[in-house]
Amino acid sequence: MIRALALIALAGFILLPLTQALILSFTATLPKDGVAEGTMGLMNYANVLGSPELRASMVNSAVYVLVNVVLCISIGLPAAYALARHRFLGDRHFLLAILVFRVTPPVVLSLPIFILFSALGLVNSPLGIALVHCLFNLPVAIWILESFIRAVPRELDETAFLDGHSGASFFFRHLIPAIAPGIGVAAFFCFIFSWVEVVFARILTVTAGKPITMAINAMFGFQTDIGMVMAMTCLSLLPGLGMIWLVRNHLARGFTLRA
Amino acid sequence: MRPYDNRAWLLLLPAFALLGVVGAVPLLAVINYGFHDIFTLSDVHWVGVEWFQTILQSERFLASLGRSLLFSALVLAVQVPLGIAVARLLLTCGRGAVWGLMLCALPLVVPWNMIPMLWLGLVNPQTGLLGPGLAGLGFDYKFTALHTWALLLVMDTWHWLGLVVVLAYAGLSAIPPAYRQAAAIDGASRWAVFRHIELPRITGALAIVFLLRFVDSFMIYTEAFAINAGGPGDATRFLSIELGEEIKGFSYGQAAARATLYFLIILCVVWAFVIATRRREGEGA
Repeated sequence: MIRALALIALAGFILLPLTQALILSFTATLPKDGVAEGTMGLMNYANVLGSPELRASMVNSAVYVLVNVVLCISIGLPAAYALARHRFLGDRHFLLAILVFRVTPPVVLSLPIFILFSALGLVNSPLGIALVHCLFNLPVAIWILESFIRAVPRELDETAFLDGHSGASFFFRHLIPAIAPGIGVAAFFCFIFSWVEVVFARILTVTAGKPITMAINAMFGFQTDIGMVMAMTCLSLLPGLGMIWLVRNHLARGFTLRA
Repeated sequence: MRPYDNRAWLLLLPAFALLGVVGAVPLLAVINYGFHDIFTLSDVHWVGVEWFQTILQSERFLASLGRSLLFSALVLAVQVPLGIAVARLLLTCGRGAVWGLMLCALPLVVPWNMIPMLWLGLVNPQTGLLGPGLAGLGFDYKFTALHTWALLLVMDTWHWLGLVVVLAYAGLSAIPPAYRQAAAIDGASRWAVFRHIELPRITGALAIVFLLRFVDSFMIYTEAFAINAGGPGDATRFLSIELGEEIKGFSYGQAAARATLYFLIILCVVWAFVIATRRREGEGA
């Protein structure tokens, strides 16, 4: 009984703000196109999808998050393998360094990142955001992948090498299938930390390449169509929901502090 | 025992190079800027530790530091026990736990700049679902400091509870059932089970939760600024909001010095955590 009440309270607490957003997204909050204020319907979604800028922002967000996830997994995987299977000079210092980078607040680094990236020509491009988000996502990816690789018995490596597999073929044929759930979880955490990030996404998109978050910011003005803002917000949740669904059975692996 | 092999560095090289470019180089640049007065990028003067002295001696800095520490303390005091409680609740739900975890993870995928919008919409006295009721109770986040704090705390809890729950659940569900069965046979109380079986086994997961939640709440910017821009008065002027003001005011030298100080504070906390974790691991081994 108490358990059921607690679960209902939890669901209410989490869903309440989202319910509000969902209701607003179906409500006309500004009278326009002959639709009276307060009418319910899909017009906000139609307006969002009809706007070229907003569509472009969705593409920008999708591109930089995808690039970021691919970068973090492909660079994090060898590093995680090295840390899980070997001891070497400075391994603990490396773990400490990635921990420090993970917790460095973006606002601390925003100024030099902007100067550096304008010198490299990476401002206004999704690639720039994807690269800079590796700062906090690569450490998380390494932690998660390392814990999954550690759970795979070392015999897998040894038998594969005895069977004459090269390093690369071992990685792709044996290791990656064995830790596929780990790659999913790492991709999930990289996705959620990258998709929602605002500070770097703002400073690195001055005139173009704006992601969803900045497109939403730009919708606030003298007369804000809050219904349209909420429709955009609800749409921006969809990829996240998809990711949650994909990794739902492996979410409970989480990650722990390694230093 | 893992073999000792320095060739493993070759596998680490890409990660090392990438973090060097996006992490180490900008960090060194910030520290360097902190010792200069910067008008434009071509007009830079060495001023030594002047900025650091100014900031450390200003009472506003100390007041903001106190506020940020208080906010982090409240966040940890609320979210960690609540997250563990929810994780334990989900653990008793069997297969339904997956749905609970998905529910808790939901706020994590909301863009950060929309979270304050959602909550401001919710407590809007005219149109919000909670607004009219709260307004009737005298809730006023704009001009009453206590209410602004409450709103920020509830909002932050909403946003981040899922991370605590997921990581705490990960730790709890990894405990072999035999431990609980043994405790049940011994007639251990629920508190004793938690204190002596569950807690020691989830400290690894909790360490990262503590660290991430501390750092992110200590440097809260996007959410806090959108709610009340540091107001009412200076009641929610956190460290990051001061830094944001300086960057917007083109006072880059001072902003860099401030950023360096913040980084040093974070570094001290990380160091303390690592020492504590290693000591615990040493005891366990």
